[in-house]
Amino acid sequence: MGGAGGLLAHPHQHGIRSLIRVDNLLAAFAWLVVAFLIIYPLSFLVVDSFRVAGSDRFGLQNYRAFFSEPYYMGAFLKTFMLSGLVLLTTTVLGLPLAYILARYRLRGQTVFTALTILPIVLPAYAGAFAWVVFFGRFGTLNLLLMQWGIISRPINFISGLHGVVFMQAIHLLPFMVLSLLAAFTSIDPDLEEAAEVEGASGIRRFFTVTLPLCTPSYLAGAILVFLWPFTDWLTPMIFGVIDLLPSIAYINIAYHFTDVGRKYMGIVSVVLSSGVCVAAFLLLKAWVERKRYTGLSKGTTLGGRTIRPKPLVRVASYLYMLFVSALVLLIPIVLGLSGFSRRWVLTPFPQHWTLDNFRTIFTGATRLISNSFLFSGVALGIGVLFGLLMAYLIVRTKALGRSGLEFVSTLMLVFPGVAVGVAYLTAFWHGIPLATHWMVMPLALFVRRMPYFQRMAHAAYQQLDPCLEEAAEVAGASKLRTFLTISLPLLLKGIFVGVIMFFIMAFQEISTAIFLYRGGWETLPVGLYLNWHRGMEFGFAAALAFMMVVIVFVMLMVAAKIGGGVLNVAWGSSGRGK
Amino acid sequence: MGFIDIRNLVKRFRTKYGEVLAADNVCLEIEKAELITLLGPSGCGKTTTLRCIAGLERPDSGDVLIDGAPMFSQGFVPPAKRGIGMVFQNYAVWPHMTVFANVAYGLKLEGVPRRTREARVREMLDVVGLAGLERRYPGQMSGGQQQRVALARALMRHPKVLLLDEPLSNLDAKLREKMRFEIRDIVSRMEMTAVYVTHDQAEAMVLSDRVAIMDQGKLVQVAKPDEIYHVPASRFVADFIGTTNIVEGQVEEILDDTGLVGLRTGLGRTLCRVRDRAAVAKGEPVYLSIRPEDIEVINSTHGARDNIYTGTITERAYLGHLLYLFIRVRDTVIRAQCHPRQAGSEGEETRIYLDPAKCVVLPS
Repeated sequence: MGGAGGLLAHPHQHGIRSLIRVDNLLAAFAWLVVAFLIIYPLSFLVVDSFRVAGSDRFGLQNYRAFFSEPYYMGAFLKTFMLSGLVLLTTTVLGLPLAYILARYRLRGQTVFTALTILPIVLPAYAGAFAWVVFFGRFGTLNLLLMQWGIISRPINFISGLHGVVFMQAIHLLPFMVLSLLAAFTSIDPDLEEAAEVEGASGIRRFFTVTLPLCTPSYLAGAILVFLWPFTDWLTPMIFGVIDLLPSIAYINIAYHFTDVGRKYMGIVSVVLSSGVCVAAFLLLKAWVERKRYTGLSKGTTLGGRTIRPKPLVRVASYLYMLFVSALVLLIPIVLGLSGFSRRWVLTPFPQHWTLDNFRTIFTGATRLISNSFLFSGVALGIGVLFGLLMAYLIVRTKALGRSGLEFVSTLMLVFPGVAVGVAYLTAFWHGIPLATHWMVMPLALFVRRMPYFQRMAHAAYQQLDPCLEEAAEVAGASKLRTFLTISLPLLLKGIFVGVIMFFIMAFQEISTAIFLYRGGWETLPVGLYLNWHRGMEFGFAAALAFMMVVIVFVMLMVAAKIGGGVLNVAWGSSGRGK
Repeated sequence: MGFIDIRNLVKRFRTKYGEVLAADNVCLEIEKAELITLLGPSGCGKTTTLRCIAGLERPDSGDVLIDGAPMFSQGFVPPAKRGIGMVFQNYAVWPHMTVFANVAYGLKLEGVPRRTREARVREMLDVVGLAGLERRYPGQMSGGQQQRVALARALMRHPKVLLLDEPLSNLDAKLREKMRFEIRDIVSRMEMTAVYVTHDQAEAMVLSDRVAIMDQGKLVQVAKPDEIYHVPASRFVADFIGTTNIVEGQVEEILDDTGLVGLRTGLGRTLCRVRDRAAVAKGEPVYLSIRPEDIEVINSTHGARDNIYTGTITERAYLGHLLYLFIRVRDTVIRAQCHPRQAGSEGEETRIYLDPAKCVVLPS
């Protein structure tokens, strides 16, 4: 046997010696990383929020000030309202869409499914930019309608809260559709047929049997949707809404760092957002665990019931899918039009075509691209190593504290990016001056995106039969050799999808990066935002966004090719069928 | 005309590999208060036939009549309007509803008032042996209990016909045996007409008044369990039900006065009794089927002159309560079931006797 401690430790050895095993040492290392990169900065943030401004004392002053100020209190409530509205909209839009995709036998379903879930890889801000150009007060749609004499004054399609709701709903629609799709296709057809035999009509059956059975999956998607408005600061700002918790956090901290009072209001709103996210997540977790629907149903491999819809339903389904697809497709199209044109204002379509924007990117702004690739690449490298380590510890060992590691990692899934950014900024400034080194960028990206990868590595590991590894050990391979020659090659396919998704997510990250970048560290998304914000010609920002969408799209296609379909890629193998 | 009348039922499925005939002109009459089993290997069309009776599947042609009323030809009658109750293979007990809500679901849809509903559900849970468990969720129950919930739900609306789709296949062996008798008991007590789909022959034998055997979408034999076993209609049935020895042969002579025919088989000359002499013709290739328990391993003294063969024991398979001897006669290996204390070891020579009355001649 090799030198790996897990095999050498005999069950009758107690005390210190049995604790010092390779598994436990690895777990201790993982805990160190988690403590340094997650627990320390986040607790620093929480502690900081109780600091009495300008002193070393602590108290509830900041919170009292926050809740007694109508502006902040209003923002707090408004964020909840926005979350509720976004959830409502995604539900109303997503329910029929998922039903159509899951149950009806229609031509072109794969294409529509792919289009529907495209926003998962399109950054929300890119969508927002595109929509402003198309739906804005003097955007394409209004100009066209006025040209045709249908309206005389522009209609406010998106400026304001309703625009934010609409944009965020479209961005989050994939999460909702994928959750419901998984639910609809995994329901045992017998359960619905039993209701049919008992005399329940279509609609009645849907509401008494089908829908309740979807509840756990629905909630899993719903929580991601509900928490998004607590972390997305940019979309509201693009649509002119700033009195929401994440936007307040960004404005107060990024622009008023020296105004101590406003800075602390920003920190309080970040902590409150995080609190809401964590609480909502824990509540859901408790609920799902208590109400686990365990039937003896084996589930189905058939993909659930499918029906050939009646002509009228068929036409309506196509129209609906086209509508949603058009909204999604609009984003890359408009970005492309803007990127390849100059001074596109007050005309429905661009008048002057040019490659100048791209020329500028490739001559003057290559650093944006190289930074993005560098930071995402480094984050990816660390993320893959650490994610594999975590998956190994959680799935394969009985190392101490592994359930705690899993818990922290899942929690990071719902933690607002704004909070990570602010926490790193405050915690790694004095004391541990990590924030002055560029490594802070990839480290923050790593912390933000690792959970996605870890989830996939975890699922891949669970599907790997331990016998295959045991056979190698029996044949005389050490643990490490077993991992390198048996586990890793077999895990590769499952992980590869995770690798690409990690990279895509890191590549378009902005919530955290916006707080941490310093001159020379700008990434593509940050550069995009700054160019939009400084009011330079929009074409340049659009060109950046377009390029990003293209890069991301190409990566997604590669992943889909290898991962067996866009659906699997977007959702990971763990989400479906289990 | 039967209580359920299946007429020329045809159902095709399109699959990746082409078209499959799941039901190939199935005709079957089921009597009132009869329990009939549809038995066959997986993919033989038994479930499709059941689902057509239920109205969960629409046949491409043919019809199903329940109590004289056509279910397809004069407008599709939806499942709920057919007077049926159904038990599904996975039970299909709704996991998000209590036992009470599950069982009362159909009554509620019928608009039965709450009081009556409660009383009737309680009564039914008593019948299936689940009294007092109304508030439980299916997730808190064992497989057997969930099975009873499914049964109670199916019986709740007093259906004219009870349909059961492999209801016991997910239970462990002990429980399966117990539930067999219970289902039989409840169905006969309620004088229910029942159609039962299974691939388990023991289940079919124990439960059924009649067994309908299907193969590749076709109905191959419908008969009482003992008839199916002793007088199989084809090689498939003989092979599918229990174990048997199949020997290829050819009709050599038809002995008019005795009801016997002489076959030339791999064993030599074999006499067999046939029920219907018109069904065999001289020179015709046939199969001879004889069950292992019908083969007598004999000593040198035996009254009969015909159908006695000498062979070598190639293998002894000892099962405790019985013993199989595999005996090679010329190039044919015959399996004989013996008393566990039967002497004879591998390599020894022995003699067997095939009673002509127990030899079944099957068309090739």
